[in-house]
Amino acid sequence: MPEQQPADDALLTALAARDLGALAALYDRYGRLAYSLAYRILGESEAAEDVVQDAFLSAWRGAATYRRERGNPRAWLLSIVHHRAVDILRRKTTFRPAPLEMAESQPSDDDTALAAEKNVEQRTVRDALEALPQAQRRTIELAYFGGYTHVELSELMGVPLGTVKGRMRIGLQKMRRALERTR
Amino acid sequence: MTEHVLDELEAYALGALGSTDAERVAQHLSTCASCRAEAATLAEVVDSLPDTVALREPRPALRDRLLQAATPEARSRVAAGSRRWSFGPIRPWRLAIAAVTAVVIVLGAADVDAYRRLVAVTAERDQYNRTMESIREGARTWYMAGTGSFAGSGGTLYDPRATGKQPFVLFHDLPPIAADKVLTIWLVSPDSTWARAATFRPNGEDIQVVEISSEVAGFDRCAVTVDDSPWGKHGVVVMESRIAPPTSVP
Repeated sequence: MPEQQPADDALLTALAARDLGALAALYDRYGRLAYSLAYRILGESEAAEDVVQDAFLSAWRGAATYRRERGNPRAWLLSIVHHRAVDILRRKTTFRPAPLEMAESQPSDDDTALAAEKNVEQRTVRDALEALPQAQRRTIELAYFGGYTHVELSELMGVPLGTVKGRMRIGLQKMRRALERTR
Repeated sequence: MTEHVLDELEAYALGALGSTDAERVAQHLSTCASCRAEAATLAEVVDSLPDTVALREPRPALRDRLLQAATPEARSRVAAGSRRWSFGPIRPWRLAIAAVTAVVIVLGAADVDAYRRLVAVTAERDQYNRTMESIREGARTWYMAGTGSFAGSGGTLYDPRATGKQPFVLFHDLPPIAADKVLTIWLVSPDSTWARAATFRPNGEDIQVVEISSEVAGFDRCAVTVDDSPWGKHGVVVMESRIAPPTSVP
């Protein structure tokens, strides 16, 4: 019989009680995804590892203040990773892909990356993003992974701010519908 | 109630607003249930975006580095059966001494006899836990992992801001260095300016505390180098933190 793993909520409760084993378990569960997200944003392994360590320590220290309305534990943890990575991207101009092309040149797939192990929902998200018209997909990717604000995207893409907002809105709506169909 | 922010919720969910706009939207969401509901729905979609990235494996050392950094604040060790638990050279009794030493410094009671007495009385588990708690509440920390000939050693910079005491670095497992060398602790600013914080030599003990005279504020990294002298340009970096700890938890 396979060993039963504690639920994410139980891990966070243990984390709040400063149980180091819970931190280890949480890292084993999400460390790879967290690192992959940070690497996708920063494009540099050492900086990505620093972000992951920083994010997990934040979760370790902030678990007692976690509230479910801030998202499930996985989403909460990954949002910390995302915020930290984007903060670095914006603060350290040397890390930031200055030209638009650089941000776009970090594809979701990479020959050197490990083969993706994706479940049905992950494939659905991936398919939903790929199915978007290119302009909507680029806008969402450059905002989320590239750390660009909508005002910066308006300048970089040479389109009005309203167009950027519209691309974000329609793109996310389409993804939402695609995800709802699978649930 | 402030004006509705539906027009900006997508950018907010994607983290694509400037800080001022993001704060304004967050403020509105705290008072507007309808915008909050829409924001929650968008957040669910955005939260799925990490699933689109190609998976990569971090170096195994990252796990140990994380757990080492968290250990001074832990109330319990890793549960039995955690298959990859590896903790390098630190052992529990060392951590107890480290914790006690930290408290001694925080309290400004640095004389050796007091230190030894404190080590003795804090051997009990409950006292040990209270000691850990006092460190957790009173200090923010950086962890520096040793590299090269310093692999396996490390140091934690404590900034005991709550007590108003001097910052200090708690080292473990420092290897010996040549007789004509010294170790220097550096504080590194975001623009990569290095400021000398302390110069010392390893004392041969498992645990060593070095006080630093500089203010930590304004620096976001720290490092240790092996130098020929306590002045001049820095030598080989043997320990380095990467980024500053969060000033507040999310």
